[in-house]
Amino acid sequence: MSELSIVGKRIPKIDAREKVTGRAVYAADIRMPGMLYGKVVRCWNYAHATVTKLDLSEAAKVPGVIKVLGPQDVTSNTYNSGVLDLMVSDEMRKMLGDIEDQPIFTDHVKHQADGICGIIAETEEAAERAAEKIIVEYEPLPVYLTAEESMKPDAVQFTPLKPGNKAFELPEPAFPGNAYGWGDVDEAMKKADVVVEDAFYVPKQKQCQMEPHAYVALYDDRGRLNCWTSTQMPKLVQTKLARLFELPMSRVKVNQTTVGGGFGARLGMVAEPQACAMAMAVPGKPVMIQYLREEDWVASESRHPGMYWMKMGFKKDGMPVAVDAHFTSYKGGYYTQGSGVAFTTGAWLAGMYKYGALRYRGDSYYTNQVPCGAYRGYGNPQTNFPLEQLIDRACNELGIDPVDWRIKWHKDVGDDGWCIGFKYPSCALTECLERGAQAIGWKEKRAKYSTQTGSKRRGIGVACMNHTSGAMPMLLEHTVVSVRLNEDASAEVILSCSDLGCGAHTALTQIAAETLGFPLEDVHLLTGNSDASGFDIGAHASRTTYVGGGAVKQACEDVKRQLFERASKHLGTPADQLEMKDKRIFIKNDPQQSVDIKTITTLGVINLPDPATGQPVGEPGQILGYASYFPPHNSPPFSACFVELEVDTETGEVKLLECLTAYDIGRAIHPPSVEGQLDGGVHHGLGNVLTEETYYDKKGLCLNSNFTDYKLLGPSDMPKLTNILVEQPDPYGPYGAKSCGEEGIVPPIGAAANAVYNAIGVQIKEAPITPEKILKAIKK
Amino acid sequence: MKTHSTTFFVNNKEYTLDIPVHRTLLQVLRDDLSMTDVKYGCGAGECGACTVLVDGDRPILSCLTLAVLMNGRKITTVAGLEKEGELHPVQEAFVEEGAIQCGYCTPGMVLKSVSILEKNPSPTEKDIRRGLEGNICRCTGYEKIVKAVQRASIALAASSPVKQKEGGKV
Ligand code: FES
Ligand code: FES
Repeated sequence: MSELSIVGKRIPKIDAREKVTGRAVYAADIRMPGMLYGKVVRCWNYAHATVTKLDLSEAAKVPGVIKVLGPQDVTSNTYNSGVLDLMVSDEMRKMLGDIEDQPIFTDHVKHQADGICGIIAETEEAAERAAEKIIVEYEPLPVYLTAEESMKPDAVQFTPLKPGNKAFELPEPAFPGNAYGWGDVDEAMKKADVVVEDAFYVPKQKQCQMEPHAYVALYDDRGRLNCWTSTQMPKLVQTKLARLFELPMSRVKVNQTTVGGGFGARLGMVAEPQACAMAMAVPGKPVMIQYLREEDWVASESRHPGMYWMKMGFKKDGMPVAVDAHFTSYKGGYYTQGSGVAFTTGAWLAGMYKYGALRYRGDSYYTNQVPCGAYRGYGNPQTNFPLEQLIDRACNELGIDPVDWRIKWHKDVGDDGWCIGFKYPSCALTECLERGAQAIGWKEKRAKYSTQTGSKRRGIGVACMNHTSGAMPMLLEHTVVSVRLNEDASAEVILSCSDLGCGAHTALTQIAAETLGFPLEDVHLLTGNSDASGFDIGAHASRTTYVGGGAVKQACEDVKRQLFERASKHLGTPADQLEMKDKRIFIKNDPQQSVDIKTITTLGVINLPDPATGQPVGEPGQILGYASYFPPHNSPPFSACFVELEVDTETGEVKLLECLTAYDIGRAIHPPSVEGQLDGGVHHGLGNVLTEETYYDKKGLCLNSNFTDYKLLGPSDMPKLTNILVEQPDPYGPYGAKSCGEEGIVPPIGAAANAVYNAIGVQIKEAPITPEKILKAIKK
Repeated sequence: MKTHSTTFFVNNKEYTLDIPVHRTLLQVLRDDLSMTDVKYGCGAGECGACTVLVDGDRPILSCLTLAVLMNGRKITTVAGLEKEGELHPVQEAFVEEGAIQCGYCTPGMVLKSVSILEKNPSPTEKDIRRGLEGNICRCTGYEKIVKAVQRASIALAASSPVKQKEGGKV
């Protein structure tokens, strides 16, 4: 590959200035003339109940109130706030059993803060006052907070569509024995010299994106439904809203506002259905819904918690002969991403190491908690916690160094990836492990920490991860990009890819400029407008730079091809003998002979016949490059993470010292963004394993839906962060790039758990590993 | 509803408003004055997104502050840091270091950072981290934000003492 001039450069992010000046517009910043305020009235005191009486009349009389909407006043269609059903074939959807069980307003409350009706008012205050006047009576139902409770035969059924409250299990037709894997696990396990086995709890973590959910919706005078939202998936939300309200897609417009963090919380819809239902009740008037933080917490999806049992068998030399695993997740009140996480949790397990045989079972049961949906890592954090700890336990018994074991047994190029039959095209994990171990001083520290005394014990741990770049072949992967050249030879790149703050738009601009051979200033990305752009999945599965980047590259190559064709006519020389530099195309052997790109693009647009001859000059037609791109692969990235920490054995407190991630990025298109993704991922990952969990009381009411009681790591809690970017270009990714959106979160979980193990010699099986749990474990 | 006539300055512009006594400064700035560069993150004093500076360098949480208490005060929001199209050195440093991801915490973070450097022009890393406690960022792991404050501190020190004062004072 020739030298890259823009890809790989540490340019300032394209959206940095509007954000640092406070000028970026988030959904709640929108101000429109005549804008009304919508409020969803929620059930705060019960997690499971039937609404026996709902009287809206008093609320409707409150001054400033425009309308009050109950379940009967909105469409009776239900929906699934997730989007998996849009990314699989009809057959697959039927087999998976995905359902649409969410009403706009409900009369069967399935979790605290389920919405029962809506108020549209002139001001927020009026809406609040009216909410207090809603007369509602409930009949409480038994509350189920674990799968073990809700699967009981006499339990109240959440939906007739899912008997026994079993929301999902791997379906038999595609997964014989309801399991994912290979080989005969029972036979293989018998041959093991060492068997390790345990049941782990993985936590209900909340994304905590800093921008609370907010929406504006308007049913306009042309009969179009407009929605301003910070969804991660504008095009799929357009499709979902069209279906829900039975409108053609041409009458639904989604405007993506600046996204104040996503992490999966906005994967699909949150309150778009409620905002749009309210807007449709007051045609011509924009309606804004702004979630309060507490509302955001208990009424929008979280990570899937649950019990994760795992058993691993090893030969004396460390060979992992068999893995048997079963993850049962607590689904919360609605189905949403019911099928996705239950599968991928096992897929990441399958993709990691060279087990002789694997049997993974995944299922989920409804519970009366906030529904579980997508959250950065999508099952991968769940797998990392038990898997990486059991490996270290086995290494301990076998007397094998944990880094050496991982170098020897991780999957590699040519092995099956997370989707069996789909092979890894690139893998730099060995280099990640070696360079990471070297940089953090693994060997020395492991030796040093094996002979500690006193109450402050240090530990160092390692863990690995594999992930994906886009969700194919399990789910649809497709991005459409068009690139229009203006007459002055600047480029408009039109697409729907989202930037959740990760720097994706910067990376895509770099890819466009690099491929076109144009300076950055000449390239503009038009995003966030579902009318203008073609199809795109949206931001999930760490796909944007890899798939969106591939699409941008292809569309820009199409532009370049057209430019060369036209230049070839101009210069009377075949296109393959031409070259481009500084926006000028010239003959390789005779660089004096050249044509300016601007001449071509100007003539393409302003094409008039020669007044003297009446003949056309140059070629007419504005150049438009196009790609409807289905990526050929999912080029999984890998990484190795090392965490060093200190445990105070008197208080149980953990002090984080360093977290080093060595990352197989393929190529870093925009290195500061890659580092930023890893740093941010570490924050979520260390939180997952050490501090973050949503707690409920017996009635199913959330105990910590705020930043005081839900412990996020603060600036002083964070350890020193080190990133090593290992760049071995991948054969499929644009310029060799692989993804880095979600992955940073994953291995700090296993690495920190293993560091605690290294420090105190006991493993904690329940995340988050709080000081109380450490003290309890030490006492035992 | 009881109201109070209140006069204050926001980014050097004077405002006199009749403000209901229960209204927070955040509500007044965002909803009444459309200053949407001040962010709502929690409304409960837990996240720092709504941080503004009072009388130059004192950071306060506008979601916990009654607007009527601002009578006679000078308030600075992030929109007031830019001078004639030039970013404040702290803003510049945030851009340069890549300390901005989703940007939602950024207005509060930048203002908090300005106040840290006002109090202590050459803080240690520990000082910076301690100073930033209370402002939550869910995107960056704080790493590049801390580096940005360090960079800004160097940039401010490099400018002449007079200029430093100008650059730092808002
Ligand atoms: S909004 Fe004021 S501290 Fe969060
Ligand atoms: S940049 Fe997103 S919260 Fe800080």
